[in-house]
Amino acid sequence: MPKLEIDGREFEVDGDGFLQEPDVWNEDVARLFAAGDGTGEMTEKHWAVVRYIREYWKENDMAPMVRKVCQSTGLRLREIYQLFPMGPAKGACKIAGLPKPDGCV
Amino acid sequence: MAGIKMLSPDRKRALRVLENRLGGRLLTHLNSCVHCGLCGKSCHYYLKYGDPRFIPGNKVDQISRLYRRYFSPLGRILPAWVGARDLDEETIEEMVDVLFGGCTMCGRCSVHCSIGVDVPFLVRTARTMLMELGLVPKGLQSTIDTSVNTGNNMAIPQKELVDTLEWLEEDLRMEVGDESAAIPLDKAGQRLLYTLNPREPKFFPLSISAVAKIMYAAGESWTISTHCYDVTNYAFLSGDDEAARGLAGRLCDEVMKLKAEQLLLAECGHGFRAIRWEGPTWFGKAYPYPVLSVVELIAEYVRSGLIRLDPSLNAERVTLHDPCNLVRAGGVIEEQRYVLARAASDFVEMSPNRVDNYCCGGGGGQLSMGEYRDRRIEAGEIKADQIRRTGARMVATPCHNCIDQLMELNQVYELNVEIKTVAEIVADALVLGKQEN
Repeated sequence: MPKLEIDGREFEVDGDGFLQEPDVWNEDVARLFAAGDGTGEMTEKHWAVVRYIREYWKENDMAPMVRKVCQSTGLRLREIYQLFPMGPAKGACKIAGLPKPDGCV
Repeated sequence: MAGIKMLSPDRKRALRVLENRLGGRLLTHLNSCVHCGLCGKSCHYYLKYGDPRFIPGNKVDQISRLYRRYFSPLGRILPAWVGARDLDEETIEEMVDVLFGGCTMCGRCSVHCSIGVDVPFLVRTARTMLMELGLVPKGLQSTIDTSVNTGNNMAIPQKELVDTLEWLEEDLRMEVGDESAAIPLDKAGQRLLYTLNPREPKFFPLSISAVAKIMYAAGESWTISTHCYDVTNYAFLSGDDEAARGLAGRLCDEVMKLKAEQLLLAECGHGFRAIRWEGPTWFGKAYPYPVLSVVELIAEYVRSGLIRLDPSLNAERVTLHDPCNLVRAGGVIEEQRYVLARAASDFVEMSPNRVDNYCCGGGGGQLSMGEYRDRRIEAGEIKADQIRRTGARMVATPCHNCIDQLMELNQVYELNVEIKTVAEIVADALVLGKQEN
């Protein structure tokens, strides 16, 4: 199992860097992931997206449609892409500690 | 030396794949490599690593040596003499690592081959053998299973899709200032049935909005089926013909059910290849209706004057990445550049391009096989360098799979570019309103 080391902490991740054990996730982990993938510092807008995705995933066992992220956070679609340069899947979902979704992502 | 009879049942099944396909096409390609070595420098994996296992001719040999071992008279008696090899643990391990993990089936090697050996066809045949051994990488297999079981490769519930498309429709109406603008859903008797890559409604819907705006400008008669719309076909990439036929067949049934005149494929390289070109082989007959890429349709709109573009609306330098399956394997070569030259004021080619273009590195199912992620990114450096040399700020590519790989290359190699579909760039250049002529 590959390990990702950020700031001296080690995490078990899959080949694409998604967290293997979602339960070890906390906000510190999110900050570390964001600093490592070009997202940068987590602002309130970042947190609104990440927290919503996390909660949705806990309830539904899947990532939300990006429409739901927009509707629940009040952010516009283009803002989401600016906030997360790696996009909603490889950016926001990864920072929120979700496993990698199937498909072209 | 053990013959087929001594092998385990799954290895027998794997060899039966080869045996059952030993017709003219497979035999020709299995027996034609003359080891000239010209293919070596065509492959982005070999160029990056210099590992001889990645030379396409050696990839061909991974399967032809099994053919010689089990199906050629001399190979059965004197395997070492003809370079034959047993289907043993070591052989299988190397096949998985190189043919799944070290090949995007991009086909650039076949263009450079002195005699035109169809390397991706052989690699795909080998992947079918590995599928019989249960060795398709987990992420690739689960993407196929999700498509087969839920109707799309991201398991999007129908209601979620409908809500998203209605949300986009509202947006479209605001943008064009016309309450009658529409994204027609499940409407029978339209001219075109349009498909989607599930990552569009799930994560990247701007490309759907772009196509909808273009359709609106052209006054097109079109619809999206909310039951069956997934243009992808990952089973084509794993070599699973039965699943691939099933996935393509569902879309074809939907065309008939909705009585559409044409099937219009989204910007998806392998989906276009699988449905447009492989489908008729899987079904054993030609389509009774035209099947085309949305890029071809947009080019036609521009050519006929049905839509009007103002290139000054895309003032930044734009370059184009040619998806292997759409261009080299699919024959849609000039349409995207014809369109981009009219939708952007500073369109430049990267070099090499068209059928000689390098793969982005994400083809052949690589994006779904996380275990080879580092190799995918490293082998993608050639593409990153190509993009950097153009000085472009925007990269257009008519393939969502390429887009995702390019997004990662953009971050890792700090290219500082935006990556868009062709439709997105066209939509930004659209001039709405009354035609002057």
